[in-house]
Amino acid sequence: MKNKLYISIITILAVLLQPSCRDLNIDPLNVIQDKDVFATDAGVKGYLATIYRALPIEDFYYRQEGSGFNRQWEHFYHPGALCGELVGPYGSTYDGAGGFGYWPYGDIRTVNYFIENLPVYGTGFSKEQIDAWLGEAYFCRAYFYFALAKRYGGIPIIRKVQHYPEQSLEELQVHRDKEVDVWNFIGDDLDSAYNKMPATSERARANRYAAAALKSRAMLYAGSIAKYGSENFVAGDARDQGYAGIPASAAAGFFQRAWDAAKLLEGHYSLYRKKTDKELNYVDLFLDRESTENILVRDYSLTTGTAHSWDATMTCRFMTADGLSRAYPTLELIERYTGQLPVVNADGTPRRFDNTSQLAQGLEPRLLATIYFPGTTLRGKQFDMQRGIYEHFTGTAADELGQNPPNRPYRHLAGKTETLFNGMRIIGFTGISTDNDDLTRTGFYVRKYIDYNRAQSQCGLYMSTQSWIDMRYAEVLLNRAEAAVELSNMADARNVINDIRDRAGAPLLTGAFTIDTVRNERCKELAFEKQYWWDLRRWRIADKILDNTKYHALMPYYVADEQKYIFLREFEPFQRSYNFEKKFYYEPIPGGELGKNPNLYPNNPNH
Amino acid sequence: MQNIIKGLFILLTAVTMASCTKEDNFDGPDAAFKGRLLDNDSKENFLTETGGVQIKLEELSWSATPTPQYIPSKIDGTFEDTKLFSGHYRVTPVNGAFWPVQGVEMDINGTTTQDFTLTPYLRITQFTHELEGTTLIMRFKLSAPVETGLPRILDVKPFVNTSEYVGSGATISQYTDPNKIDINSSWSADIAAKTYEIRVPNLKAARTFYARVGVRVDDSFKQFNYSQIIEVKVP
Repeated sequence: MKNKLYISIITILAVLLQPSCRDLNIDPLNVIQDKDVFATDAGVKGYLATIYRALPIEDFYYRQEGSGFNRQWEHFYHPGALCGELVGPYGSTYDGAGGFGYWPYGDIRTVNYFIENLPVYGTGFSKEQIDAWLGEAYFCRAYFYFALAKRYGGIPIIRKVQHYPEQSLEELQVHRDKEVDVWNFIGDDLDSAYNKMPATSERARANRYAAAALKSRAMLYAGSIAKYGSENFVAGDARDQGYAGIPASAAAGFFQRAWDAAKLLEGHYSLYRKKTDKELNYVDLFLDRESTENILVRDYSLTTGTAHSWDATMTCRFMTADGLSRAYPTLELIERYTGQLPVVNADGTPRRFDNTSQLAQGLEPRLLATIYFPGTTLRGKQFDMQRGIYEHFTGTAADELGQNPPNRPYRHLAGKTETLFNGMRIIGFTGISTDNDDLTRTGFYVRKYIDYNRAQSQCGLYMSTQSWIDMRYAEVLLNRAEAAVELSNMADARNVINDIRDRAGAPLLTGAFTIDTVRNERCKELAFEKQYWWDLRRWRIADKILDNTKYHALMPYYVADEQKYIFLREFEPFQRSYNFEKKFYYEPIPGGELGKNPNLYPNNPNH
Repeated sequence: MQNIIKGLFILLTAVTMASCTKEDNFDGPDAAFKGRLLDNDSKENFLTETGGVQIKLEELSWSATPTPQYIPSKIDGTFEDTKLFSGHYRVTPVNGAFWPVQGVEMDINGTTTQDFTLTPYLRITQFTHELEGTTLIMRFKLSAPVETGLPRILDVKPFVNTSEYVGSGATISQYTDPNKIDINSSWSADIAAKTYEIRVPNLKAARTFYARVGVRVDDSFKQFNYSQIIEVKVP
C-alpha cells in the first residue's frame, strides 16, 4: 500500500518536472522582433520613417532655442530674428545663441542598429535593395552628425551600437573627437550614401543626389570654419586640443570636396522656370509640389496631425483665420537686393509718392516674391502699411530723423486702426501700430512660402500643408559658387550666379566680383530658409555684423496737406540691439551630458 | 468626542511639524571674496566698467571640472561676492580687455581678499576734453604696453551717460555709435603717434553728463579699455 503511494508521488513529480526541462526561451508574440522588422519591406519602411521623422530638418517649426525641433505653432520664433534677417519676438541674439542642448545620440543609435541588423535579417532582399536602404541610413547618420558638428564642433563619433551592461562604463564614456575628424566622417558617410543609393527616390526620402547636396553643404561649412575660424576664434583648451576649430590647411580640401559634390547634381536637377512671369514663378517655386528644383522635402498633412502654421503666423490676422504674426523682414535685408531705396530726392527731401505701391515699381522680381511690399495684395486684401500722418512736412528726411525733428509736432501715430485724424485712419489694417508687434514693425511682411491660393478661412493654426524644401538646387548652385570662389575659380562662380540671377529676374553679374557678392547672393536667394544664422556663424562675421546693431524699418507716412505719401528710414520701433559674442561660434556642450560623461570636457571655449 | 478629535488634530499637527525639523548639516554660503583689479603700470585700479571683467571661480573641492561661476567687476575696478561657499577655488580674471592671466588656486573662507594685476591691451593717454557750445570734444592718444601679438584694433567710441556709471553697457546710444572712429588695423607707429579727436555734438543744454572714451581690440571678448570718467556740465 505504502509502495503504491510512493510510486504515485514519484510519478506525479516526474510528470510535473517534465516541462521544466524545456527551455522557456520563446519569443514574445506581442513585441515586434528584429526579424519581423528587417526581413519585411513594410518593416524596413516603418523603421526608416521613424528615422526620417527625427531628422533635424530645420523646417517651419524649427527654433534655435527652447522647443528646438518640436512642433509648436509660433513660427515667428525664426532663427533669422536672432540675427537681423527679421526683427521678431526675441529680445536679443542671446536668446538663441546658446542653442537648446541638441544631443541626438538616441537617434544615431537607431541608425547604427539599422546598419548592423539589416544585413543580418534582410537576407531575403536583393543586394541592390539592401544597399539602397543602407545608403539612406548613412545619409541620415551624416545628417545627424552635421547638425551636431555645426553646433558643437568636435563631438564623439559613434559608429557602432553600444551595449550596456555588457560594455564597461569606461568604454561607454567616450571622448570628443577632433572637429576635423567629425567633418571628414560626415563626408565619408555621404560618400557611402552616394555610392549605395539609386538616382531616384520616393518623395521626401533621400536619393544619391540628396547625399551629394548635403555633402556640398557640409563640406562648405567645414571649409569656411577651417579658413575663417582660424583667424577669428576664442582661445581655450577645446581649441588647443582640436575639438573646436579646424587647421586652416584643411580648408582647400574641404572646399574642393564641396565643389565636386555640387557638380554631381548638374543635369539631374534644374532651377524652377515653369512660369514666364518671374515674380509669380519664384513664388510658386515654394508651393509647387512638382518643382524640378526640389532635392529633399518634408511633407505635412491635416490627417497625420503634422500641418504647420506658416500662413497663420507670418502675415497678420487681417489676412488669416487665426494666430498672429511677430517677425518682419528688416530694411537691411531688402537693401541687400536694392541698395538704398529711392525714397529721398537729390536735395534731401523725402520723395513724394501718389500711393505706397509705387515704391515696389521696377524692383527685382525675386525680392517682391520674397517679401510683401506696401500696396501688394493677398487673398483680396491690401497690405496698406502706414505708420502715421503728417499734417504737413517740410525740410529734409535727415533733419526729421535727427535729434530735433522739425515736423514732429505735426505727426500723428496710433495704436489702433480705428483712431482717426480728420476722418482718416492714422494707421493701416496691416500696421504700423504703436501698441504691439502683431502688425509689422518694419513696414514689410514675409511672402516666401505663403500659400496665396489658400482661402482665408483655411489659414488657421496647424492648417498649412505646403512642403518644406530642405534642399533645393539653387542652394547647391550657391554652395558650388562659394566653393568655386574660395578655390579661385571665378568663371564657374559667375556662370552659376548668373543662372540664379536670370531665374530671379535680377541683372546679370558683369565685371569683377568677390566672395561678398556670392555671399550676398546666398542671403538673397535663401532668405527666411533658416540658413542665414548658420552662414553668419561659419563665415565668422556674426560678431562684426551683430555688434550692438539696431535694425531699420521703412515707415510710410501720409502727408495730409499734399495728399502724398513719403517713406522715412527709421529704426524699427522696438530699437532692439543685437550682439553676438565670439564664444557663440560654438554652442556649449549640454550640461546634463557633461554631468554624465566627464570625458566630454573640455567644454567649448568660454562656456 | 469633539475633544478627542481636536486632540488628535493637535497631535497630528505636532507630529507633522516635528518631522520637518531635520538639521541641514552643511554650512551656508558664508564666505566672501573680494579684491581689486590693478593696472600693472600705475598700480591704480584697472579702468573698466560694470561687468567689464569677470572673475571666474571654479570650486575644485568637489570636482576637477566644475561649472564655473562669475563675479562681475564693479565700475571702479573692484569686485566682491559675499555669498560664497567656503572651499578650494581656482580664480581667474577673464572676459576683459587685458592680456590673459594664469588662474590662482586658493582657499576661500571668512572674508578672503585677493588682488589681480592686469596688463591692458591698450591705454588711453594724454586724455583732455573741452566743451565747444554743446559739442564735447575729447582728445587722446593710444599706447600699447605689449605690442607683439596685439590683436587688430577695432574702434574707439565715446560713452556718455547722465550718471557716473558710464561705459559700453551704460551709454546714451545716439551719442555713441554715430561718433565712433573705426580703426580696423594692426598696431603701428602711425597709431601710436596720432592724436585722436572724438566729437559728441548736440548734447542737451543745462544737463550734467559723464563721459569717457573706450578702445577695443579684436580678441576673444571685444571689451573696452577705458579712459578716466569726466564730468561735463553743459551750460
